[in-house]
Amino acid sequence: MGPARRLVGTKMMRRLAPYAVAVGGAIVVTGAIGVVTAAASVSGLSALYLLLVLWLGARWGRGPAVAGSVAAFLLYDFFFVPPVGTFTVRGPAELLELIVLLAVALVTSQLAASQRRAQATAQALAKDSRALYELATAMLRTHEVASALTLVCDSAQRLECVERFAVASGDATQLAGPSLTPDELRQAAWSYENGKAIGVAIKDGVVTAMKTRGAAGNTAYLPLASGIAVMTLSAKHAEEGELRMLAALIGLADLLLDRRRAALEAERARGFEASDRLKAAILSSLSHELKSPIASLRAGLTALTVPQAGLAPEQRELMTDMDRQAARLDRMVTDLLALSRLEAGVELDKEPHSLADVVGGSMRELRSQLGEHEVVIKIPEDLPAVEVDELQAGRVVSNLIENALEWAPASGGIEIGAVALDGRVEAWVENEGPAITTADLEHVFDTFWTRRRTGTGLGLAICKRVVEAHGGSIWAENRRRGPRFTFTLPLARVPATPPVARRATN
Amino acid sequence: MRRALRAGLKYHDFDVRAVGTGEEAVREAAGWRPDVILLDLGLPGMDGFATLRALRPTTRAAVIVVSVMPGEKDKVRALDAGADDYVVKPFGTKELVARIRAVLRRQADVPAGEPIIRSGNLEIDLARRLVSVCGEAVRLTPTEYELLRYLALHAGKPVSHTTLLRQVWGEYAVGDKYNTRYVVAQIRKKLRDDPANPRYIVNEPGVGYRLEA
Repeated sequence: MGPARRLVGTKMMRRLAPYAVAVGGAIVVTGAIGVVTAAASVSGLSALYLLLVLWLGARWGRGPAVAGSVAAFLLYDFFFVPPVGTFTVRGPAELLELIVLLAVALVTSQLAASQRRAQATAQALAKDSRALYELATAMLRTHEVASALTLVCDSAQRLECVERFAVASGDATQLAGPSLTPDELRQAAWSYENGKAIGVAIKDGVVTAMKTRGAAGNTAYLPLASGIAVMTLSAKHAEEGELRMLAALIGLADLLLDRRRAALEAERARGFEASDRLKAAILSSLSHELKSPIASLRAGLTALTVPQAGLAPEQRELMTDMDRQAARLDRMVTDLLALSRLEAGVELDKEPHSLADVVGGSMRELRSQLGEHEVVIKIPEDLPAVEVDELQAGRVVSNLIENALEWAPASGGIEIGAVALDGRVEAWVENEGPAITTADLEHVFDTFWTRRRTGTGLGLAICKRVVEAHGGSIWAENRRRGPRFTFTLPLARVPATPPVARRATN
Repeated sequence: MRRALRAGLKYHDFDVRAVGTGEEAVREAAGWRPDVILLDLGLPGMDGFATLRALRPTTRAAVIVVSVMPGEKDKVRALDAGADDYVVKPFGTKELVARIRAVLRRQADVPAGEPIIRSGNLEIDLARRLVSVCGEAVRLTPTEYELLRYLALHAGKPVSHTTLLRQVWGEYAVGDKYNTRYVVAQIRKKLRDDPANPRYIVNEPGVGYRLEA
């Protein structure tokens, strides 16, 4: 209580001091006139009072100037106007003198006051912008959003109109400023979620306190884009400059909260990326674990299928059968891993490729399985390049050829074709096998769906995933000759001749 | 796996020695001087690539890299580090034997210093820089010839895009795989080779090209 009362006392003193100076000044001037008139008979010295009033008006404004002019008139009347020693006012001349003094007081003080107001506003603006500048510099220096927010809260609390200023995130976690109670945090969360300010608003860049009812008490809540400002405003009258400053500080807090949210989101994205990498690492380690025993099995079984191994023909046949099963197991593991990789969203290494090249790769891979089948390839020589991951696209073609081999009659033909359409290449693999029933057409690309017990039900599902990952589509239909599987791939945007090749060829 | 391979290869009349680590492999290769080394990339201790690098200066043996589901990057890395071929596990003994025979055949061809390399009907006369198909001369641009020559010198072996770009264009072109694809397409056109069913230059998906031996 002590310091507060002293503060009020000094404020009163400060307010009364100009009046004391006005009266004192009038007394001093009166004394000076008295001394001068006593020494020599000089008239018109009352003009000295004018000087005093002018100065008072310019220095302190109307109140002290009027007080000074009244004091001057009374003193002059008392000491110098006959009858000396009385306050009697006689004649219009004296009255005029008083009126002139008062008029001068009023006019000068008015002029001075408006000038002082302009100056004060300029000074306040300069102070505001300096404070904001210093805060912004400090904020830029701190990389941590939390400490920058603390700076903002501290600056806000230095304002006279603010008793308390704190910042919380949208999920009711206090970020900076004096501790908020759990109730206040709950209220803050509600205010943020509903986008409703309580007890305060910002209008035309100025903070305005609003009347509130109910539980909020005198705490005000102002939701921002990515958080909330919680404050208690002083009940007394606040200067507009301060309220403007507070609004600017809230703006800064808003920016900082936004920065915090962006940083959090970036961090979360990094987390997802890491989990993708982890998934890829697990898949690759799993594939190693699954494939190694199969590799040993196949190496051992195939070693025993040669006559030199000394086994009876029957036993060798058994070994060959077992190897075939091991190879099938291997194929299933490969397909399963490929499918889970695709589902995990493994990145595609897309580049311009010639579809003929891709088909050529698949044909070589399956050379040993082609047997008696006649494969007709109808790919125009000038087919534009496609933008694909070579290995994945190769998998699609291989799987479709394998599927065709499975269904085509023993020496039946297989046709592989492609045609350029608007913005895409449509490619197909057709065989002369039996038509697919209408009911089955819908399911051929489903995972684990197979028309034969020997199939894994994964080959066509992989095709669908790969094609869709490239932004294309795949479908099955029955043609006159037999079932046809068609897929689309995006065209590559490449120049006809690569610049480097042209340079080197010259 | 090691025992199975040793047994399987012995039945095909190969003299086989098997070791468990890269260090042992380097020592064994220096002393015993094998014709072919099968190198598993997943080795304990010194890894496959380090072993390959250690082997290369001391041995002239052909190296076939064996690996479980290698990424295409690993294949390229192995080839560029001096491997002659790669086989993906699991594989059958027959397939492996065929690959071993192929690298042995190539190895036998090289010292002969034959100035004419043949691949089916394709003939490349290195001394006179002439290329012909079925005896008919084919006119190639210098870049096309250089690329074909490089593949021919390594006939039967997959050559990575990186190596082709470095050898034919120079270091600055490495990474621009579209160059090799474009030039190979041009060569195929002139050799009247069908890219979808090539007889001469074969596409090694994700790796590069190979001239059929």
